[in-house]
Amino acid sequence: MGKVVFDVQYQTTVAFLISYYFYFTGLSAGSFMISTLSYGFGMEKFKPASKMGVIAAVLLLLLAPQFLLMQVGWPIKSVWNHFVYLNPLSAMSYGAFLLILYPINSIIYGIFMFKGNLKMTKIFGLIGIPMALAVHGYTGWILALGVARDYWNTGLMPIIFLFSAMVSGISMMILLIMIRDRFFTKEKVINGDLIDSLAKILGWLLVVDLFLVFCDFSVLLYSKLEAQEVAHFMLFGKMSFWFVIVENLVGKVIPMVIVMIPGMRKSYFWLILAALMNMAGILAMRIVTVYGGQALPLM
Amino acid sequence: MSNPHKTENSDLPRFGMVIDIDRCIGCHTCEIACKIENDVPLGIWRSWVKEIEKGKYPNVIRAFRPTLCNHCENPICVKVCPVNAAWQREDGIVMVDPHLCVGCRYCMSACPYEVRYLHPTKGMVDKCDFCSVRVDAGLKPSCVEACPTSARIFGDLNDAKSEVAKLVATKPVSTLKPDIGTAPRVYYIGLDIATMEIKREVKLLWEK
Repeated sequence: MGKVVFDVQYQTTVAFLISYYFYFTGLSAGSFMISTLSYGFGMEKFKPASKMGVIAAVLLLLLAPQFLLMQVGWPIKSVWNHFVYLNPLSAMSYGAFLLILYPINSIIYGIFMFKGNLKMTKIFGLIGIPMALAVHGYTGWILALGVARDYWNTGLMPIIFLFSAMVSGISMMILLIMIRDRFFTKEKVINGDLIDSLAKILGWLLVVDLFLVFCDFSVLLYSKLEAQEVAHFMLFGKMSFWFVIVENLVGKVIPMVIVMIPGMRKSYFWLILAALMNMAGILAMRIVTVYGGQALPLM
Repeated sequence: MSNPHKTENSDLPRFGMVIDIDRCIGCHTCEIACKIENDVPLGIWRSWVKEIEKGKYPNVIRAFRPTLCNHCENPICVKVCPVNAAWQREDGIVMVDPHLCVGCRYCMSACPYEVRYLHPTKGMVDKCDFCSVRVDAGLKPSCVEACPTSARIFGDLNDAKSEVAKLVATKPVSTLKPDIGTAPRVYYIGLDIATMEIKREVKLLWEK
């Protein structure tokens, strides 16, 4: 309508470090899910993945909050204040508890698993599942409750975050299990059945994930001005390379096609490629969501 | 949305501001006064004047929108702050507690008016607080004091005799983004739509 002569731009300061934090908690939640499939739900064929899964979950969850601490202005004060001056209406408040309780639970679960105490492993595994869902779902809530940003402010955001966490976690588990079986076992043979089952799960989760993204964008494109604008920004604007090509085509569609075709899924070359592409795509998704969601000026 | 005038019968003051854009000449004095008073570093502003050039020669105008924290009746930033560092005084001024703020910047991305900034050296979020120190001492905020055309009027909205209350009661005032339900306490007279619109680059789905 007019030409802007002077205006002050919003500082887009919440960006890459938070994206990495979301990415690593997602990987952690995804690998924890895989590790509970056998001990928690009795799916025996996933047993060889369990110990790997719990180690990855704990290590990644010890790594993830470091990005959070680097992001905030006052790292030590933030840990203290999150407990002492808790605001129960803020989604972020619950993160501090989850980020402490979930690794502790995972460590206990892992110790029982390594000691072979099946009953206690099952109990702590089942306690851990809602925690893993919460520790990643709450990150979606943090964004969803940023009321001003139309890209974030949707009820789908926590679910999209959960599904992207699970797909990236499974991709990472596929790679880790291949490396372990190939290089760190006596037989040096990759467990084909396990990898194949994981790849099938990955395929179906990717279908759901793409469907959720489609739902989100179909609503955004039909919504009010700011929502349409951010959808155009993602699909055709500056973010389109990262959103359309890297996140959705490379990160989701191509891996989905690869793992859906049995011939390609059985080939380790294609499967490794699919897993790597998916992990890169989900990292792009975190950056696109966090940075792209607040890149457009509101006023 | 709560009643925007719910504090009308209260005994406490409810500070607010009326900005008469018909009087604004776009001199940016309020910006500078605010920077000096609050020691705001380079590159960031607590209050600024957005300037828009619109129309086609010879029918042109520069439209101004002095921007500051709206001191909402229902502030989103206070809700989302995980450590209660964003808080609202009983007289309605929305504050940032420097002892509690940890610099997580959640409030910055949740604020619909984008008036919060990250202080580059303190590592905390900061924003306009209606010069609360001056207000407590019985003075006006420095931007109000500095405005050469008295475009900014500050006072107690609950006091029916104050100038702001009279203006809000008798003039056609508007607030920014009333649809979000934050009930801002910074009112504008003669606000131009061009200064509120974001730059549109998309063709809407229902656009011809």
